Amino acid sequence: MTDAIFPLVFGSEELRLLTAIGLGFLFGFSLERAGFGNARKLAAQFYFHDMTVFKVMFTAILVAMVGLYSLSAIGLLDMSRMWINPTFMWAQIIGGFMLGAGFIMSGLCPGTSVVSAASGRWDGLVTFGGIFVGSFLFAVFMDWFPALGSLYNGGSLGESVLPTLLNVPAPLFVLGVVVAAGAAFIGAEKVERIFQQRHDPVELAPKQTWQTPRYKFAIAGALVVVALIATGATAPSLERPGQPMREMTPLELAQEIIAGDPNLVILDLRPSSDSTAGIPGATRVASDSVVQQLLSSAGAAARVVVYDDAGSLRLTVQGWPRDLDYRHLTGGLVGWRSEVVTPAEPTGYGTEEREFIAWQNQIAAFFSGAAVRPSTVAAPPVIAGGPKKKKKKSMGC
Amino acid sequence: MKAKPYWNPYLAGVLLGLTLLATFLIAGQGLGASAFPKRVLATVGNEIAPEWTAANPSLGIYLEDDSNPLRNWLVIEVVGVMLGGLLGALSAGRFKATVEKGPRISRNGRLMYAAGGGVIMGFAAALARGCTSGQALSGGALLATGSWAFMMMVFAGGYAFAYLVRRQWT
Repeated sequence: MTDAIFPLVFGSEELRLLTAIGLGFLFGFSLERAGFGNARKLAAQFYFHDMTVFKVMFTAILVAMVGLYSLSAIGLLDMSRMWINPTFMWAQIIGGFMLGAGFIMSGLCPGTSVVSAASGRWDGLVTFGGIFVGSFLFAVFMDWFPALGSLYNGGSLGESVLPTLLNVPAPLFVLGVVVAAGAAFIGAEKVERIFQQRHDPVELAPKQTWQTPRYKFAIAGALVVVALIATGATAPSLERPGQPMREMTPLELAQEIIAGDPNLVILDLRPSSDSTAGIPGATRVASDSVVQQLLSSAGAAARVVVYDDAGSLRLTVQGWPRDLDYRHLTGGLVGWRSEVVTPAEPTGYGTEEREFIAWQNQIAAFFSGAAVRPSTVAAPPVIAGGPKKKKKKSMGC
Repeated sequence: MKAKPYWNPYLAGVLLGLTLLATFLIAGQGLGASAFPKRVLATVGNEIAPEWTAANPSLGIYLEDDSNPLRNWLVIEVVGVMLGGLLGALSAGRFKATVEKGPRISRNGRLMYAAGGGVIMGFAAALARGCTSGQALSGGALLATGSWAFMMMVFAGGYAFAYLVRRQWT
């Protein structure tokens, strides 16, 4: 049981959305300063005389990859809560090739066209406009040609990552990518030098002082060291346990508690050092034997909900009675506090959203009220299902 | 004012990588760009032809949860990218209303190419469920299988067609 603090859990979606402005700003600023607002500089990548695209992109991938896998290895990051691009092999192979063709025509990719347009370039603005048209054409073609739909969903591997697919320990794979990229950087510098004799580099190339090999090798060295530390740590696992436990959302659990289901068993698996109050009716358990005792006396119809602090729990139910209905609480106690105990702020989106919030607040009142004034617990509010809230999708690029 | 030089590519890469890492740690997802056009299209489509949009396999997914498709992390992030790009260009003395092209092509010819490339990329990004930012960069850092296949094919596509469009650049 690790206490993974990343990815951060936000009290409200608004707060999470707010981070997008700052992080987007840094993204756009770095792209601009790298020279990616200039179509000529990007296009030069494909004529070998300015390999900036390759160098910037792979350095960024290395830094983020080493960071992700190291933090995951030492237990600070829970990869199972990360949104990982699902693999659709055929769609991504064909789409990638097409995007490359569009890239060299425009001299820009979708992200850099935004930066290019923002820095005043008409070709950037026109490219960005073209992307809207292309996305629309895709939507229309999906209706007209069923074959496109099969391509779109072709070669699905789900949330597949290369170390798992190739059965290589993740730290070793990460280290391999770092070494391979280091070799590719040296190659890119050589290629550039050969081709720059025939073409002038795109204007405003960085000054030579920054390009001393010492500087480059310092960065490469630092990355390798971090990768080695990651190798020493335990291998991160992206896989769900063999017999995965299904999830139950805090609001679902709240309804079950209010309904007073006698077969409901709630297990609090937080470390005993955490002395804050848990979910009403939960049993605090310290060891596996206590759990087994409790569960064997619970009867066959028992429905078991487990939670820890932040929902980072991933348990196999090995050793526990197999035929019970196990769930783990989405977001753990943190999720419970933010979704159930804290009243929701009205955001003013449509009647359904308001109904949902009113319903959520009814639940919040029940639990916070019951905890504060135990003598005045009235009849539980009539909570019949409530409007359904669907899982948020974050798809696309 | 003379424009400041571009950053060293490795330094720019490190800063970009740290931004990407921070995004993963804070938001639980990567950076992206092509969700913005699709979500705008879903919003506009929902106004003009709600039934068609909701039933469309490419756009309908953004309307499923009944909330505003623009109330999304990636959409707000692209607004941040615009601001970051603008401030980056202004502060480097690089903001200029112009068209980037080689000497052998007309301004309008270059803009035609740019628009055509944009259309192809819009289609391709919708098909691949992401572009160079969401797939190659973000998915690449996660070591997602499809993202690496995508990335290799982007470079392959670029090099394959570079000779045909060289008139634009050199």
